[in-house]
Amino acid sequence: MRRYRRLVCRFGALALVIGSHAVLAQNSLSRWPDTMFHDGLEALDTGPRSDADAARFLAQTTFGATAADIQHLRDIGYRAWFDEQLAEPMTREVDYLNWVASIPEPVYQNARVEAWWLGALGGPDPAIPTRIHRDQLRQRVAFALSEIFVISKVNGAVSGQTRSAAHYYDRLATHAFGNFRTLLEDVTLHPAMGHYLSMFKNRKPDLAANIRPDENYAREILQLFSIGLVELNADGTPRLLAGQPIPTYNQTTVRGFAHVFTGWNWKNCYQGNDWDWQYCEPGPNGSYWLEPLEPVESLHDTQGPEVDGNGQRYKQLLNYPGVTLAGGRLPAGGNARSNLAAALDNIFRHPNVGPFMARALIQRLVTSNPSPAYVARVSAVFDNNGSGVRGDLAAVVRAIVFDVEARMGPYSHAETFGKVREPLLRLAHLRRAMAARAQIGRFQDWNPEFDYGQAPLASPSVFNFFKPDYSPPGELSTRGLLAPELQIHTESQITAQTNALGSQIFWGYLGQTYAEPNSILIDSMRDATLAANPAALVDRYNLLLLSGQMSPWMRAHLIAYLESITSDTPNHLRQRVHEALYLIVNSPEYAVQK
Amino acid sequence: MQRRDFLHRSLKAALGGVAATSMLGNLRLVEAATRAGTPRGDGNYRALVCVFLYGGNDSVNTVVPRDSIARSAYAASRGTLVLPTSALLPLTPVAGGTPASDGCAYGLQSAITPSDPVGTTPLRDLFDSGRMAIVTNVGTLIRPTTKLQYQSPGHPLPPQLFSHDDQAVYWQTSRPDDSLGWGGRIADLLHDTNTNTKLPMTMTVGGENLLQRGAIVSQYALNPDPQGAMAIRDVENAWNANRRAAFLALMSSGAQTHALERGYARSMNRAVDHYAMVADALSGGAPLATPFPASRLGAQLKMVARLIAVRQALGMQRQIFFVSAGGYDTHDTQLVDHPLLLADLARSLAAFYAATQELAVSESVTTFTASDFGRTLSSNGDGSDHGWGGHHFVLGGSVRGGSFYGRMPDLTGGGPDDAGWGQIIPSTSVDQYAATLARWFGVPASGILDIVPNVANFPTPDLGFLA
Repeated sequence: MRRYRRLVCRFGALALVIGSHAVLAQNSLSRWPDTMFHDGLEALDTGPRSDADAARFLAQTTFGATAADIQHLRDIGYRAWFDEQLAEPMTREVDYLNWVASIPEPVYQNARVEAWWLGALGGPDPAIPTRIHRDQLRQRVAFALSEIFVISKVNGAVSGQTRSAAHYYDRLATHAFGNFRTLLEDVTLHPAMGHYLSMFKNRKPDLAANIRPDENYAREILQLFSIGLVELNADGTPRLLAGQPIPTYNQTTVRGFAHVFTGWNWKNCYQGNDWDWQYCEPGPNGSYWLEPLEPVESLHDTQGPEVDGNGQRYKQLLNYPGVTLAGGRLPAGGNARSNLAAALDNIFRHPNVGPFMARALIQRLVTSNPSPAYVARVSAVFDNNGSGVRGDLAAVVRAIVFDVEARMGPYSHAETFGKVREPLLRLAHLRRAMAARAQIGRFQDWNPEFDYGQAPLASPSVFNFFKPDYSPPGELSTRGLLAPELQIHTESQITAQTNALGSQIFWGYLGQTYAEPNSILIDSMRDATLAANPAALVDRYNLLLLSGQMSPWMRAHLIAYLESITSDTPNHLRQRVHEALYLIVNSPEYAVQK
Repeated sequence: MQRRDFLHRSLKAALGGVAATSMLGNLRLVEAATRAGTPRGDGNYRALVCVFLYGGNDSVNTVVPRDSIARSAYAASRGTLVLPTSALLPLTPVAGGTPASDGCAYGLQSAITPSDPVGTTPLRDLFDSGRMAIVTNVGTLIRPTTKLQYQSPGHPLPPQLFSHDDQAVYWQTSRPDDSLGWGGRIADLLHDTNTNTKLPMTMTVGGENLLQRGAIVSQYALNPDPQGAMAIRDVENAWNANRRAAFLALMSSGAQTHALERGYARSMNRAVDHYAMVADALSGGAPLATPFPASRLGAQLKMVARLIAVRQALGMQRQIFFVSAGGYDTHDTQLVDHPLLLADLARSLAAFYAATQELAVSESVTTFTASDFGRTLSSNGDGSDHGWGGHHFVLGGSVRGGSFYGRMPDLTGGGPDDAGWGQIIPSTSVDQYAATLARWFGVPASGILDIVPNVANFPTPDLGFLA
């Protein structure tokens, strides 16, 4: 029963010491993760008690641990680190694009991806080398939000508007620690989203011409950005009626919202005729691509498609217990702004939003299969941050990462806790752990989607790179376990990822003769000295990459392999580093963030 | 015991890793039944190719009325989206073929533009030559559904109509209570008839999908042409044999204690194992002379053709392929975007059909389209919204082409086929469409209900578009 011996009882005084490094035949070594000492009495946000604990926390809250970040977190502790991150100056992709334009260089999507790498990998700004980017938590949450509030450069309108897409991403980063209601409104009125989900220039109905409002945004804001398809309990499980889930809305609701979302056009569009509506422009140099849409009242539907028993027109919005609008009906009247506010409030107050967003963010940061209790605890914080505020995302993120399940999951759910690392984040982690830079200081890795199936704002559809309820066939679906990220680990994709990571490691290292000034190179020579002692090298990467959770079996396996490689010259030692990295970053034990 | 229950339990047993001898016995029966049919084309080889049009194709602007009452209904209901008859290529039924059920003339959107003088002509030509059939107003249904029934509470309907994801899922599973796809269920039933049972008979070049999800057989994902199957490069060569051994030991069965790690290792192991088989076979295949369009869809279908070309080396007698194209969610700028999509579709399908002729397997390969849903009749100004029923193409040498199958819907806004907001209520179910394909593919009549149980709710399980 070796798996149970590592259970840590948080409320008991049971002390457990796990992980023997006794000299045993390799095959008799444990294949369970190595674990660290916990007395089970510490508060969840005190610590970290060990480098490994620190690294594990950083795996959930950053783009991967570095030795310096582990040390810093150990120095100041979880709470101070979290507060420091909230206050850290934000990486703004638009600033980066402005710099690129000033060089001068044309600004295409490539430049936006460079800006993303700068935020994800951190470090000195190529424009202002004294500026060090270290807003890791904000950028990690922003990336998670970008996989929920999806826009994509795959869309023609978005692909041509690099600055707008970057600005959209910056808005997500801005609101990562803000309020959900504000985020929802900013997303709704952003021109990039307006074009992506066609709310921009959505006009009121013209029944004579059989023109009805576009339902695209109405449908997706409900299904994907806020409440989902079925009613949820506070713990994220579906509510059932006669054994069946209960839909949160129907077609009447979709068309109600579609009518609300009419009349929005560029900032400063004339309040005039159809010609103006059709042809007003996005401002000098397209600057309104970075400004919220504004209403043209004459094209906004103030009436609504439904008629009540008294002959009054209305828009059917969401109806739920405690809804502010009677019956969820938005009566005729108002204007574009007031109706939008009423509709977004109607969504924001729906009881699903807490569990829906809690589960979505937990899945992006911590674990694919959170327990209902975990979702419920985070959802309660969404509903009320402790000061009576609903939708406080900083409080939600804090609740997610300091939850008992986030901190103790590897002990309480040893066989299922965690998530498959996103392929793009594996690359980011490798680069951070190995201090990867390019000589020119920029990160010109423009199309990671070709190999990794992911790039920032590059999803093939609004349904993200993978779906939150995906479960691959076989054991996982039989056991009812979700593994969203495995949807982009098909045979062809896992091959491409493995090969691309191999290229970075075996060819993209500092000192490579064929490297170009813009090649992003890992600093593998840094660890060459360690490589003289394979055990020390493996322990180092166990910490940086696996948060100290490598099984004794895997550790012994790697050491035995590395010892078989000669250590005669510095180049051989570097080869050991590369071999160790390649085997680790492609290993199943590393592939799952636990 | 009901046959369906039996099969279900057998599948469960197989899933659990238990050797299900009764299951194998059952499959032998299926095999016997299959082989009893008259083989056509290349021995007993048959392949189904699903072309999934993600986003929901506007099929009302794909197959368009040209005259009479259908034309006037179309012209009245489609607002800004109306295509002039000059933008249509007449679809002329073959001699003895079935015209559209409403007796009206229809045309294929030509997609001809100043920069593309060909447009969808190759696809229209396949209809006129009897190699392509049009199945009208197919959609997700549990039972036949009238407008009155649609409006009546309690009438069973697929969940989450008009939602992309859910409707794409329903199209691919065709039942609300199972996470397996109908292609996967066919594969579970028939995979044992392939000489090579190690390589999945379901292969996707168009991404992970539910259609091919089986309980026993799991889809194998390949890259579009030219890559196909790729090697895990750094553990492939003789000189890195030691690294390969170290790498594979980490993946080996039993090495992982965590369920998600086993899921990851499973994918890696399949990639390694299948690569060896497929790459060897592909490298031995003669190059195709048929040119394919340079599009993503063209490259996917070219890879399917290359895989079919080496079917004997792969040990495949039955195969189900999946390819896909995106961008069909034309809420915006539809009149500009839709022709580009249709032109690519037409060229790619025609190239693929030509390749099957080149390989002398055209009668053994049936290609069909599928999509999330059709789109609304009503315009939203410059696009259309999520609908329901839609027209689909089936092509191949065994297709009774040059005919329309199923009932043409009445395109009158607010009319008897309009669910209420311009979504057309389907008159043919996905189950019937799938059952017709499955029967041709070799699923015995007794097995059809295991594949698409709800087909029992409809008048016929065979729409007749396949010989």
